[in-house]
Amino acid sequence: TAAAPRPWRLFGAMCLLRLPRITQPLEKVEEEMAALMGQIELEKSHYSDHEIRKLEEEEQLRRRKENIDDDDDEVRGKTVIMAQDLEDKWEQKLLQFKAAPRVTDADKNNNRTSLNRKLDRNLMLLVKQKLGNQELWLLPQVEWQPGETLRSTAERAMATFLGDHIQAKILGNAPYGIYKYKFPRAIRTEDNMGAKVFFFKAFLQSSDLSQAELKEDYLWVTKDELGDYLKSEYLKKVNRFLLD
Amino acid sequence: CSFSFFSSWLPQTVPFRGSHWQTSLLAFRASLPMRAQPKKKKKVDVKREQAQKDRMKKKIKKLEKAAPEMIPIEDFITPLKYSDNNRQVLRSLPPLSFEETERRVLLLKKWCLFKQKQDEAEKKAIQTLVEAQQEALKELRLESEELYQAAIRRDEGLFPFERDEPNYTPPLPGYDPPEGKCIDITKVYTQ
Repeated sequence: TAAAPRPWRLFGAMCLLRLPRITQPLEKVEEEMAALMGQIELEKSHYSDHEIRKLEEEEQLRRRKENIDDDDDEVRGKTVIMAQDLEDKWEQKLLQFKAAPRVTDADKNNNRTSLNRKLDRNLMLLVKQKLGNQELWLLPQVEWQPGETLRSTAERAMATFLGDHIQAKILGNAPYGIYKYKFPRAIRTEDNMGAKVFFFKAFLQSSDLSQAELKEDYLWVTKDELGDYLKSEYLKKVNRFLLD
Repeated sequence: CSFSFFSSWLPQTVPFRGSHWQTSLLAFRASLPMRAQPKKKKKVDVKREQAQKDRMKKKIKKLEKAAPEMIPIEDFITPLKYSDNNRQVLRSLPPLSFEETERRVLLLKKWCLFKQKQDEAEKKAIQTLVEAQQEALKELRLESEELYQAAIRRDEGLFPFERDEPNYTPPLPGYDPPEGKCIDITKVYTQ
């Protein structure tokens, strides 16, 4: 309190990430390697109980076919479930099950406001905010007020744009990145040179945001698509703390 | 008096018999030979039973004194059907051709390079992450010491950190997985 007031205004911004739901597709080397590993494992393995049973039953069938005169009386009474039958049954059951598609409708329509897009990548929230006299796409931010920590500023930013019922895990008390800019000369004064935006990271826990979205323009974009919306300097700083 | 003689004869475990004698004073002589025989049997029986009980107790004590038997860990004992003489190797596969071995070696080398590049990229990304955070904290310190101290405090609620792993396909809405039956056949050993 005794220090001279700094000329920078402080903002807290929240980078809300929706974590990937499905695995990323394998590269060619990875696929080949996986196939090789499977083959080596097969070569080095022993027969399993199921396989031994199958082999024995095949032997029996073959022998029965050869000596069909002797065994006819005994065989007829038995209804033995063969291993091959079991395998066929399991195969049938598998074919009946239909999994959800990896490429969703939102992917096909390129609906950037939906959370169901790009299920194998991180998605982050961008909102359109008015700064000065410009409307910009930014990570949600609000100004810091004395008496709260920067982390609570970021939480407030998230709550302002998405409502109170967001379940997000904020990763720690410390900021992840900073973007410093000076105001244009027109509004720059001695006490008000510019602003510092501190970024915080959070993981979205709940997947259902139906009742949460309030304000107007929001987007969920991946790291590559950030370039379409953010300004270059801002983008550079944001890219530093985003892993892909 | 002969009463007390007989009553002291009897073992202490059957005191009611002593009072039984004293009631029939007149019939004493007559009942004596009748009572003697069964009395002997009972005494011998009782003595024999006592001896048996003692023997059992000694055996129990001996067992207890011996070290408690170890509970076998079933994971460490290989069942006999997997031991060496019972092995049935998948020998029906043909031996590998020269091209195949070459292909495998080259693939392994490619994989090695791929993984090395991946690892380096990860390390670099983590490095940039840490640097960005340090820069942010430095700027914050310039701003206000109090906010800086609040920022470098440990976040207690962060760990244990849980998250659902990514699967191959997204969850199917409204899917009811079929119930399976689970029969537990683990052997329970008591010491």
